[in-house]
Amino acid sequence: MSVAQIEMVELDAAPSGGLWSEAWRRLRRNPGAIVGFSFVAVFVFVGIFAPLVAPYSALDQHLELIAKGCCPGPSAHHLFGVDDLGRDEFSRVLYGARSSLIIGVVAVSVALTAGLVVGGTAGYLGGIVDSVLMRAMDVMLAIPGLLFAIGIVAMLGPSLLHIMIAIGVTNIPIFARLLRGSILAQRENDFVLAARAVGVPRRSILASHILPNAISPVIVQGTLALATAIIDVAGLSFLGLGDPNPARPEWGQMLTNSNNYLQNAPFLAIIPGLAIVVSALGFNLIGDALREALDPKLRGRE
Amino acid sequence: MSKFVKVSLVLAIAALVTVAAGVAAIRSTAASDTLVFGAAADPVIIDGALVSDGESLRVIDQIFEGLVGLKPGTTVIVPKLATSYAASKNGLAWTFKLRKGVKFQDGTPFNGQAVCANFDRWYSFPGPLQDQAVTYYWNTVFGGFKHPATGNPGPDKSLYKGCKALGQYTARIILSRRSSSFLGALALTNFGIASPTALKKYQADAGTVDSDGVFHPTGTFGTQNPIGTGPYKLKSWKVGDKLEIDANPTYWGAKAKLKRIIFRPIADNAARLQALQTGEIQGYDLVAPQDIATIKNSGKLKALDRPAFNVGYVGINQAIPPMNNLLVRQALAYGLDRKSVVDSFYAGRGQVADQFLPPLVVGFAKKGVPQYTFNPEKSIALLKQAGLTPPVKIEFWYPTSVSRPYMPDPSRNFQAFSASLSKAGFQVVPRSAPWRPDYLGATQSGKAQVFLLGWTGDFGDPANFLNVHFGSKTDQFGFDNPKLFDLLTRADSETNIAKRTALYQQASIQVMKFLPVVPYVHSKPALAFQKNVQGYAPSPVSLESFATVSYSS
Amino acid sequence: MLRFIIRRLFLLVPILVGLSILIFLWIRALPGSPAQALLGERATPAAITQIRHQYGLDKPLYVQYLRYVDTTAHGNFGTSIVSRRPVTTELRERFPATVELSVAAMLFAMSLGIPLGFLAAKRYGTIFDHVSLVGSLIGVSTPIFFLALVLKYVFAVRLGWLPSIGRQDVLLDASHPTNFYVLDGLVTGNWSAAWDATKHLILPAIALGSIPLAIIARSTRAAALDVQNEDYVRTARAKGLPPRTVDSRHIFRNAMLPVSTIIGLQTGLLLSGAVLTETVFALPGIGSWLANAIFNRDYPVIQGGILFTALVFVFVNLLVDISYGIINPRIRLS
Repeated sequence: MSVAQIEMVELDAAPSGGLWSEAWRRLRRNPGAIVGFSFVAVFVFVGIFAPLVAPYSALDQHLELIAKGCCPGPSAHHLFGVDDLGRDEFSRVLYGARSSLIIGVVAVSVALTAGLVVGGTAGYLGGIVDSVLMRAMDVMLAIPGLLFAIGIVAMLGPSLLHIMIAIGVTNIPIFARLLRGSILAQRENDFVLAARAVGVPRRSILASHILPNAISPVIVQGTLALATAIIDVAGLSFLGLGDPNPARPEWGQMLTNSNNYLQNAPFLAIIPGLAIVVSALGFNLIGDALREALDPKLRGRE
Repeated sequence: MSKFVKVSLVLAIAALVTVAAGVAAIRSTAASDTLVFGAAADPVIIDGALVSDGESLRVIDQIFEGLVGLKPGTTVIVPKLATSYAASKNGLAWTFKLRKGVKFQDGTPFNGQAVCANFDRWYSFPGPLQDQAVTYYWNTVFGGFKHPATGNPGPDKSLYKGCKALGQYTARIILSRRSSSFLGALALTNFGIASPTALKKYQADAGTVDSDGVFHPTGTFGTQNPIGTGPYKLKSWKVGDKLEIDANPTYWGAKAKLKRIIFRPIADNAARLQALQTGEIQGYDLVAPQDIATIKNSGKLKALDRPAFNVGYVGINQAIPPMNNLLVRQALAYGLDRKSVVDSFYAGRGQVADQFLPPLVVGFAKKGVPQYTFNPEKSIALLKQAGLTPPVKIEFWYPTSVSRPYMPDPSRNFQAFSASLSKAGFQVVPRSAPWRPDYLGATQSGKAQVFLLGWTGDFGDPANFLNVHFGSKTDQFGFDNPKLFDLLTRADSETNIAKRTALYQQASIQVMKFLPVVPYVHSKPALAFQKNVQGYAPSPVSLESFATVSYSS
Repeated sequence: MLRFIIRRLFLLVPILVGLSILIFLWIRALPGSPAQALLGERATPAAITQIRHQYGLDKPLYVQYLRYVDTTAHGNFGTSIVSRRPVTTELRERFPATVELSVAAMLFAMSLGIPLGFLAAKRYGTIFDHVSLVGSLIGVSTPIFFLALVLKYVFAVRLGWLPSIGRQDVLLDASHPTNFYVLDGLVTGNWSAAWDATKHLILPAIALGSIPLAIIARSTRAAALDVQNEDYVRTARAKGLPPRTVDSRHIFRNAMLPVSTIIGLQTGLLLSGAVLTETVFALPGIGSWLANAIFNRDYPVIQGGILFTALVFVFVNLLVDISYGIINPRIRLS
């Protein structure tokens, strides 16, 4: 089970409609949210515009720079020093934001889409379908997340796509359970019962009434899952199941490689490590603030 | 505030502080008659015939001895449990005069019957133990079993034919054909002589075969009671934790200097170095090149060199076009900046390989070897000559989660090579997989077009390098070159040393002309020890005794 | 109560069947063969065929599955291909190491997390609250192995306060009747062995406990905040009970209910974390053992080991549910 799965337990049932404007108002006043948003904004900006921001290419090797041993530390030319192939560490960290951004978004999209389909089907159809699907989710939850992900990557072979799929798949049960729970709660709501009474077809009730209202905990969860995805990818890299192209800058891989040079060049480990912490922290802060903003129970405390 | 909360918070902080203070005071220092060695893993089993991995062999080396051994630090064969040996004229009967007064660690005498009992044991292994994964070296060296299971090689394939004890202290081994590598193979740790009494008493080969055909060992010979004639004997073994061996008080030769050696499994390379720095271990093997400087500068530690007895190479599968074209292979050879890689990444412990055989091995060609110095222009020209338009796309494989003596950091070699290849008219598609079994599976089944691999010699014989790789058609290299195969077969069966050397030199040059692989490095692996550890003699084939190791005061 | 437990146990059956099928099929879909894992550079096609035959991997899938179910149901998890030791033996040796590590991590997390979370709730909106919230978020944002490497480098290698690897100083002659090393030291009266084993646990436990610490602190805070506004707390205050009594009797006790669920739910998280922590600190537990088994295609270990861990996970959650029911009489177990 991942952190995200545990966080899920803390989430309450879906808030009722008309909450979004108030949520936005509360978000703007939460300093945590502002810090989180600015971390994430920098992260996304750097990820998209890395080629413009970075002083050097992330791929150019300068073996002459490490002729005297690995690896020269920070200097005027190389803000964070150079890595074990003489590449500019600062530029690699900037480019690394791009990989982490893609990994996080794709992995969470996989989890979200599959989770929505499974959870939606289970919650809306109920009965035997619900039981079967939820038992299947229980089975997936019973395998420790990281081992599950290792297993999937081992089966498919390491590639960036497979890593993203693996992280995504381990997160499916969280989203499925969450959505099912909130659909079950919504199903008995007055406006759904009313729609059903006036003969609106089941499918359009699900699409236009239930889903939009059941979705807010999913958004919170999605934000938190972005943070875990970045961390989990780093863990897979550490175990040797990272991106097969080691030249592509990716924080988990950079951190793992630098384990070999921990004694001589600790900055090579600390910098990507901090990058992971800061970006994951950004998403966690936002997720946290969203949760509070959307939590009906906390309303009126201010 | 709740009292409970206050109290527990205070307690928690107090506990942390006490612990920090307490541990600062106590630091364990090694006892002066014990050495702790950091192994990469536990042995599989302490029974030489049944293993092929270095961590098992390291321990087995201390407990068992063979008829012959190697002079410390070399690949020169010297008498061990046999004091002399001679082959008959036709090369089929080998007579060994045995050392007198040697006793196994269980008190039983070492004699001709004991030698033959061991050979008969290996030859008569039951079906499940005939597996290559279990008895690799018997399979490779002797090649057949007395009662083969379905599909396994039988007596007709076996080099070994029989063994006879002639009186107490003579044993004769009969072979089915001439062999130039038989004696060298006997120096392998795998063919150490075990106490026949113990083999029987502790049921070395006993086990049940379940409905799946899986062999479950039931005896305790290889786990708790390995009995040989060596300077050390097993005290205890707890898998994952430690394995202890104690000096053998009745050893026939010079007794071990240290009372106890403890082998401690630590999988991670960086963790082994750190444990050496903290003093939790006194030595470890396979030091990463980048750590050598740290070790040398520390003042407390030292590094020992093993002679280069390996080769790191870029493998090529000719079954995947355009690699079947010699011009493309030459282009690849010119496009690999081998010197930069060796100079930058091996911390002065590597030499650029111009041929497959390391310089130490008989058959190493001193002249006439074609040189492929890094030359991107030439590489591009060759590709064009082959009728291709650069950039030419190739799939280049490298392994993860592994550090081998010939490639301490494969990913780093790979990245530098791909950068140099992309300057030389190639477009590299990176492919990676964890070392075992994915990566080796991919290369051995012929899935990998171009790949990083290497080899460490088992014994000092060129056949162990060249014939193993290029002696017959394989999926891995995907070529069929009858001329080369024939040359290598002739070289191996030649027993005249001078002629054999000449043939192997010729073969080594042929390989570099044909380019089934591009060798790039022969490296000197290193061991690290605390500075006060003395008497450890690194060996090219890693046959190293702890009996001569001691501490300086 | 008994009916509830029986019903829950009954629900385990489909999960276990599903698990066994999932693990079985997945293993067969893995590329590479155990022969390659065993022989490395030296595997030959003949050796690979031989091993496939020996382990029954060349038989039809359903035959293999039925065999697997049959032997597993008899408590036989098979023999590890790599170590050639029975999987149950290895489990018996390694499981205690992981349990010991997990318990130490949870003790660390709870002893700091609960008081911190509770204090943060008491001082809702103050600097202390904000700092502990952000601190806990940093906790969940830090990769475990990164923290583990840093802790090890600083406290073991640089400062030399604590051992860097393993469960026990190898020079100590300690006996291990239970394989729980701390307990072993206490049971056999070998105090220095117990203390030594404890020292070996400190760094790994802090690394592994960091995320649970953050989560426990946060959920304690959330639960305490919820409870503070409940009617019975207001009533208790209105009755004029001393604040300390209200805190401990009403708020603390009730806030602990959701927290206990959270603690139970972390079994899986601990196991994932154990894979990384055990790797960094060279601890012979089941986390690193299973990860290696996957890399080595050690089929019997993967089959038996993962099934076993999943069982433990499911069982711990069952226990949590049951104890939840016992602590909280308001929940009817039906």
